[in-house]
Amino acid sequence: MTIQPSKIAIIRWRATCTTIDDSIRILEATSINWVVIHTTIVLSDTEHTSRRGFLKRAGSATVATASVTTLAGCSGGDDDADSSDAGDSGTDSLRYGRGAHSSTLDPQNTTSGEVAKVTNQAYEGLISFQVGEAALTEALATDWSMEGDSVTLTLREGVTFHDGSEFTADDFIATYRRFVDEEYEYYFEDASAYGPFTLGNWIDSVEASGDYELSISLNQTYAPFLRNLAMFAAVVISRQAIEGEVNLDEEMVGTGPFQLETLDDANNRIQLTAYEDYWGESPTVDEVLFLTRGQNSTRAQALVEEELDIIDGLDPDSIQIIEGSDTAETRTVQGINIGYMGFNLSRVEAFRDRRVRRAISYAIDTEAIVENIYSGIAAPADQPIPPALFGHNDDISPYEYDPEEAQRLLDEAGYDDGFAFTLTTFQNPRGYNPAPLQTAQTIRSNLSDVGIEVTIDDRQFSDYLTYTSQGRHDATLAGWYTDNADPDNFCYVLLHPQTESPDDQDWVPWDTDGYNTSNNTAWANSEYMELVEQAQTTTDQEERAQLYQEASQIAHDEAPWVFIDYADEVRGVSDRVSNYTVAAIGGPYLEAVELG
Amino acid sequence: MVSRRFVLKRLLLLFPVLFGVATVVFAILHLSPGDPAVTIAGERASQEFINEIRSDLGLDDPLWQQYLRFLGDVATLEFGQSYQINRGTPVSEILANRLPITIELALLGELAGLLFGLPLGILSAVKQDTWTDHLTRVGALSGISIPIYWSGPLLILLFAQFFGLLPTSGRIGSEYFIEPVTGFILVDTLLAGNIAAFQSAVYHLFLPVVVLGIYQMALLSRMMRSSMVEVIRQDYMRTARAKGQGSKITIMKHGLRNAFIPVITVIGIQFGSLLGGAVLTETVFEINGIGTLLVDAISQSDYPVVQATVLVFAVLYTLVNLGVDITYSILDPRIEQ
Repeated sequence: MTIQPSKIAIIRWRATCTTIDDSIRILEATSINWVVIHTTIVLSDTEHTSRRGFLKRAGSATVATASVTTLAGCSGGDDDADSSDAGDSGTDSLRYGRGAHSSTLDPQNTTSGEVAKVTNQAYEGLISFQVGEAALTEALATDWSMEGDSVTLTLREGVTFHDGSEFTADDFIATYRRFVDEEYEYYFEDASAYGPFTLGNWIDSVEASGDYELSISLNQTYAPFLRNLAMFAAVVISRQAIEGEVNLDEEMVGTGPFQLETLDDANNRIQLTAYEDYWGESPTVDEVLFLTRGQNSTRAQALVEEELDIIDGLDPDSIQIIEGSDTAETRTVQGINIGYMGFNLSRVEAFRDRRVRRAISYAIDTEAIVENIYSGIAAPADQPIPPALFGHNDDISPYEYDPEEAQRLLDEAGYDDGFAFTLTTFQNPRGYNPAPLQTAQTIRSNLSDVGIEVTIDDRQFSDYLTYTSQGRHDATLAGWYTDNADPDNFCYVLLHPQTESPDDQDWVPWDTDGYNTSNNTAWANSEYMELVEQAQTTTDQEERAQLYQEASQIAHDEAPWVFIDYADEVRGVSDRVSNYTVAAIGGPYLEAVELG
Repeated sequence: MVSRRFVLKRLLLLFPVLFGVATVVFAILHLSPGDPAVTIAGERASQEFINEIRSDLGLDDPLWQQYLRFLGDVATLEFGQSYQINRGTPVSEILANRLPITIELALLGELAGLLFGLPLGILSAVKQDTWTDHLTRVGALSGISIPIYWSGPLLILLFAQFFGLLPTSGRIGSEYFIEPVTGFILVDTLLAGNIAAFQSAVYHLFLPVVVLGIYQMALLSRMMRSSMVEVIRQDYMRTARAKGQGSKITIMKHGLRNAFIPVITVIGIQFGSLLGGAVLTETVFEINGIGTLLVDAISQSDYPVVQATVLVFAVLYTLVNLGVDITYSILDPRIEQ
């Protein structure tokens, strides 16, 4: 066997590295002592380093413990403890890889799911989702009841926040007021749209009838309300922190199983450690690192090479990388989302004819899109409510690809010569649409077969949002991830105009006062609207489900959307990880995860 | 010596330059599509909510008012808060965190380029038309011709994925948390006395620096060679040799100083392009300097961050050029006139 010169060089280099390693280990033993001393100095400092970008939580013994363990690991002369594995030698560290860093740590300052992944570790709501399910379970509240427009909750006793203060009903009230009450001294000026969306629009008043009793009165009977309490934005923040000098963009003061150790913006990562006084079962791992790898393939490669333990945001290519490896695997659950193409009835006259909308639904080969472009990590859609939720109508099936039927309907509607429209789309992949441009191109080619000419108008995401929220699109590719795993979150939010329905037509002009711009179709079908409104005020689950099934049938038949897909939730998980449940709502649930 | 007046004059020139840059950035941002209020509000916001944000940020004021306000902010070095990247954080703070990352990278790239490029250029000139010369020249030509977005992924493929020797992204291993003092990771790890972390940082920075350095090296060696070749042919060089001076001393003492003048220009101009190259390198290697900051800010309509970052680029570029001019006049006092 001959060895190429370049390989010899590398072998030599590696050999040198090992010797350097050895000498470094000796050096390290001495230097770590210094780190410990240094840390002790930090510990005696009462204040945090207040510079955004690297915020290390002081005042906790964990820092010192970690360093001491490292010291023990080094001086113990453990030959296998390669310097690059220093983190593994003492602490059980779970590395979660994702595509983007958190833009804030304040759950009230964002609508971003990326932020929620981290805040969900440190904060808890009154109610939460069951691990891996859409059903609700107790969290900071142990019991609750909802009668008409009044909700009462019994709170958990003996819970402490990461700042040491005890959790009581006052904390929830402060949290609520910071989010939506402009009269409150500590009202948060930059509160996100979730303020009104989840709480503000529905709550009349919140009162504490004791330290551990809360009563909330709503402005109407609103069935999804309890689910709103389980959303990441409704988590409880320590009142002491809210009314104190804490910068909640950079610090988290919740009751969750993990607490913030370091926020390191310069390197796009966040270090959390297990919270020792957690009321529930303590996390199995010592710390969680949220690490950012922007490129999907790099992230998947890092998982395969055991530099990461769990990753999300996978596309077909990165799934292939993982499935071809023997160190990690992919895990999939049904997602709670939908991808669709919305017709703007306010703008294009042809779309006001349901035959045209149905014709287009028949003309587009959605099954081929889901199969070929989404590589099977999604299921074809047929109604607004995803199959994982109650209210999904099992009797509905997707529009078959049938260009002849499409042509017949178009002829009947008087569009036998076809017509033209522009299809607006975002450019970047989203969970419910991993390849928006390819999707748009397929739609264009499908529709040209039935004489409809489509021009594709692709835009950068922020521009796309602006453009479509102003109703300037003819038709648009769009999608939605659930906020609270309630059918209302799809049916009311996305297809109800939230204005009066006009008598003689099933659409409203876009500029109607108070129009709900999340409904990018301007569709206003009074029958559908009544069902959805009724479902909002019905608390009986079965009755509600029935109402939503009827509403779904109408949405399917009237076809204000071309229903495209429900995307799966896919995670890459290293073989050393056990006890991790992939969740489509809430989480990621990392406290139970064990590392082998 | 460099006169104070010269430096002052050049520093004063900074103002019109910055004014121009600020105006252009403002115009481009406000002409480009996308409404930051919508981006901030997110998909769940009502029109009313968006309008409120827009008026809070003054985005519905007439453009000239926004422009004047922006100029005022620039003049007072008050860039406002980030809309999106680090919500609610002052832009100056974000830049203070990110700038050292890019400067460290650019300096290392420059250093690598100088360390290898200059000796190679000199060698090539002295050994003109020999094999050494031909080889260096071919190498230099290839180095200049390969763009970063190609050499970057290629090196990643080779060293990181194929040989598994070097990490592909970031500046330091995920297990090391080093408190930033200077913001330069190599310096900070040393200050923290953590040798293992320092080593990890060296590993991480190796490929990005090589990628930045290759181009630098290639260009510098070419410049150095042609400049040196010209100088070697000058009469005073022959005279020096005729006077019996050894050829090494001649080259070092008389040749280098004169040959350096054009090379310094290139170094200066190139440092600017290194900062530009850092945008690409940072993206390829996922390093969080002002390059990636700018790209992220543009894609998220984070106006304050985009404006401030572009201005910082302009200031850096201008200052480096000033530095070049000063060095010039030290090397050749005639230039100042």
